[in-house]
Amino acid sequence: MGSNRNISLPAGIMYKGGPAFLTYMLHRVGGATLFIFFTVYVLSLLGLGSMRALMNNWLFLTFILIFGLFHVINGLRISILDLWPKLMLHYRSIIQVEWIVYAAVAGCALFLLFTRTFGG
Amino acid sequence: MAPRTLPIKKRGFSFEVFMWAFTRFTVFAMYGLILAGIFGALIVSSKTGAGFGDILYWAFFPTLAENPLGQIGMTVLAKLMVIAFVLIACGHGVHGVLEIFDDYIVSARARHWARNVVITYAIIASVIVIYIILSA
Repeated sequence: MGSNRNISLPAGIMYKGGPAFLTYMLHRVGGATLFIFFTVYVLSLLGLGSMRALMNNWLFLTFILIFGLFHVINGLRISILDLWPKLMLHYRSIIQVEWIVYAAVAGCALFLLFTRTFGG
Repeated sequence: MAPRTLPIKKRGFSFEVFMWAFTRFTVFAMYGLILAGIFGALIVSSKTGAGFGDILYWAFFPTLAENPLGQIGMTVLAKLMVIAFVLIACGHGVHGVLEIFDDYIVSARARHWARNVVITYAIIASVIVIYIILSA
């Protein structure tokens, strides 16, 4: 059965769902990013030179790291809340912890990537 | 206001519950494989002297890098782990992409086509990855 919702993109983006909605949207963006990464990975394995070049492109890797890592860390939070539903009472605090963990992990990953790319 | 949660025992067994369990299972399987891969690569790296990064890079891109592991057993194990990871990630991803499509595609017929295309793509991509990794 088709959805009857008729919400425009700007209205959807401006939806005031707070931090939980932001993580929900970023989780989807991260998933889509990893889907693109998987496609590029398969094509580079097939031997397409342009895809291999893309896999070594720092801008592409930065994009993948920023959104892909968020998807991984947010997925861990969702799994933890699923396994221990009582923690849902503290979901705002847990999301704040998630942002701290994400900043640390993504910061380290990007630092390593930029160091390797630009030397140093 | 306290969030509403339904205990797993009371959720019944519908398609949605099955896909929820499948998604969670694949997530934990991926985390497990990532940890096993990192520890395995560290152990093999210390035993063979091969670089940790070189091992992981070769495991995922066997056509682009030389095999840093001389031992056949380790090579087969690494390939099987990468294949398992890719298959599990693919299964997890198919469900995620379909969920996004279901949210934005309104027509039932278009949804049906989107499901067929995504599932076919996932199967073909998985077969390609398995073939290349095993034959490299």
